[in-house]
Amino acid sequence: MKSDRYQELKHASQLHQEPDWLTAQRLNAFDLIGQLKLPHMQRFAYENWPLTKQRNLVWQDSKEQMLDKQSTANLIQIGETKVQRKFDPRLDKKGVIFADLFAVLKSRPELIKNYLMKQVIKYEENKLTAYHMAYMNCGYVLYLPSNCVINKPIEVDLVQDCTNKNAWIPHILIIAEKGSQVKIVQHLKTIGNEPNTANMVMEVVAKANSHIEISSLEELNKNTLFYFNRRANIAENAHVEWAIGLMNNCDTVGDLDSELIGEGSYANSKAIAITSGKQKVGFNNRVTNRGLHTTGLINQRGVLLDSSKLIFDGIGQIVHGAHGSNADQKNRVLMMSDEAKGDANPLLLIDENDVIAAHAASVGPVDKMQMYYLMSRGISYAKAQRLVIRGFLGAVIDAIPAKNVRQNMIDILERKLIREQNKQH
Amino acid sequence: MSILEVKNLHVEVEDTEKKVRKEILKGVNLTIKTGEIHAIMGPNGTGKSTLSETIMGNPHYYVTQGNILIDGESILKMTVDERARKGLFLAMQYPAEIQGVTNVEFLRAAINARRPKDKPVPVTDFLNDLDQNLNLLDMSESMTERYLNQGFSGGEKKRNEILQMLMIKPKFGVLDEIDSGLDIDALKVVSRGINAMRSSSFGALMITHYQRLLNYVVPDVVHVMMDGRIVKDGTSELAKKLEDEGYAGLRDELGLHIKLTDED
Ligand SMILES: Nc1ncnc2c1ncn2[C@@H]1O[C@H](COP(=O)(O)OP(=O)(O)OP(=O)(O)O)[C@@H](O)[C@H]1O
Ligand SMILES: [Mg+2]
Repeated sequence: MKSDRYQELKHASQLHQEPDWLTAQRLNAFDLIGQLKLPHMQRFAYENWPLTKQRNLVWQDSKEQMLDKQSTANLIQIGETKVQRKFDPRLDKKGVIFADLFAVLKSRPELIKNYLMKQVIKYEENKLTAYHMAYMNCGYVLYLPSNCVINKPIEVDLVQDCTNKNAWIPHILIIAEKGSQVKIVQHLKTIGNEPNTANMVMEVVAKANSHIEISSLEELNKNTLFYFNRRANIAENAHVEWAIGLMNNCDTVGDLDSELIGEGSYANSKAIAITSGKQKVGFNNRVTNRGLHTTGLINQRGVLLDSSKLIFDGIGQIVHGAHGSNADQKNRVLMMSDEAKGDANPLLLIDENDVIAAHAASVGPVDKMQMYYLMSRGISYAKAQRLVIRGFLGAVIDAIPAKNVRQNMIDILERKLIREQNKQH
Repeated sequence: MSILEVKNLHVEVEDTEKKVRKEILKGVNLTIKTGEIHAIMGPNGTGKSTLSETIMGNPHYYVTQGNILIDGESILKMTVDERARKGLFLAMQYPAEIQGVTNVEFLRAAINARRPKDKPVPVTDFLNDLDQNLNLLDMSESMTERYLNQGFSGGEKKRNEILQMLMIKPKFGVLDEIDSGLDIDALKVVSRGINAMRSSSFGALMITHYQRLLNYVVPDVVHVMMDGRIVKDGTSELAKKLEDEGYAGLRDELGLHIKLTDED
């Protein structure tokens, strides 16, 4: 006898006219939610967070939440609703697929069926991936045919609609065929104040010789509870760069993974996080060298305000057989307040001995020489401090290809820091 | 007219390894009025940078005696940024690099720091001034969009220091070895920048090891510093003499018992 929730989920999927395989996959995943464990986070307790509590699969219409200010993004989704798609028709003709997840499910069902939580991130991995598969309700797909090179960054705005109670479960699928190149700039934010779960999964398939840069600026609301899992499977000589700016105000737990599978593949995983208030953020940034001559870099920076907590682990793993590989990581956190608790632990797991691996971690104050230099030009202590912190985060800010998004990130940072500084004085 | 006065200044630094303080400046006296250009020369390690950093308020240096005043007001208790807003500018020997902050934004922040909060510098005024100064210094506009000193060559950093001075328009510029590491053309350009500042409302203290800079920016007064004191004042002729005869000659002439670092 299946539970009511099971029947409700089945019914919702069918009502949404989803193919049978998808309904079945959702239901399989549903059965696993109760059996699987939460993903493991070192020294970060979040067992009591209600991350799988919201169990409705509904598609709300959020058109009326359309923001007045016109965004230039190529794709905008608010809640489960697509509100804008502006894309060069020549790229459509070339065979690029760039659309809403459920639109692609209709137009190219085999593509989704082939990849969705089967190759890169499997839904049976843990409780939260299973929950994601069962209740996923929005997202997008980007597919690049072989050798397709897109120079202009593709911008996507994903807006969590918290004017209502509804979990926000976006799924993002990026498939770059051989030799293709693309830059993606994501912007995540929230409207409204209802407490809701957000569960985002991003799967990236980087085939041989492809080159993908993904940056993401995230500013979800404080009443949200956020889980994310992003992973790239990287084939021979493919190149993936991440630049993730976790500027959210919410409690967050997440994984960012780069799987260096093919020979000569490369990943550079950059992330920054700014935490404030009583916020708790636990985050694993993992790069696994599996193939020969692979290069995996991790560069993380955290800034902690108030009594927030940030556990920022960089995990570099060189798997047996990955000869001639290279792993390096830099983790640094800045504590802006005595009550903040933070750690940026570099963990290096090596099964090979002909590999180069280095790591550095430091927890420190603001750079004094930079402060002195700025103040010697008349800039106040507070402003100088904000500029130095920006310098501290510079490597990630710099990796965002869209100038407006970079500026946006800087503005958010300024606001957060000003708020903190005003509290201290 | 404004006056910068250094009176009987004694300064100690802390040796970070041995944790002991040692006295570097042993009673420096100096008066600079706007409209004047002063040069300080002296052997390595005699305290020239210590003097300029102490004037700016670098927290590594401890004033144990004496005073520094602008127009009669002591600045010793002022923070570094307050001193800057009082009209002091220090072109540093080793300018800091800051990624993520563009040169142009930094310049605007420095200028606005001197203005009322609700009256930032009008964009067109700022850009006109910037254009003019970039021209004067043979700098390309792209330099201003780059991150502050990040990846700048040694010479570019020096030029950038002068650009800041031209934009900020301080009353007193302290230029610590602005000529070191510059090629001949760059030296001319940087000198042009300093000369452009020359006016009745600007005074400078230039620290240099080479007489060449003083050919381009002719000083009104040349001071020689040895062992933490100013031991001789003169005109630009003094600089020429030093270039020919070295410091040992002057020391012996003055009957000083000081060991120069390159002597054994
Ligand atoms: N922050 C510091 N910590 C320790 N010692 C210092 C510090 N700053 C200066 N000193 C010492 O003080 C003395 C004077 O140094 P200063 O840099 O003022 O010399 P200078 O005249 O500028 O020399 P140069 O011509 O080589 O630039 C030197 O012995 C130097 O080692
Ligand atoms: Mg010096």
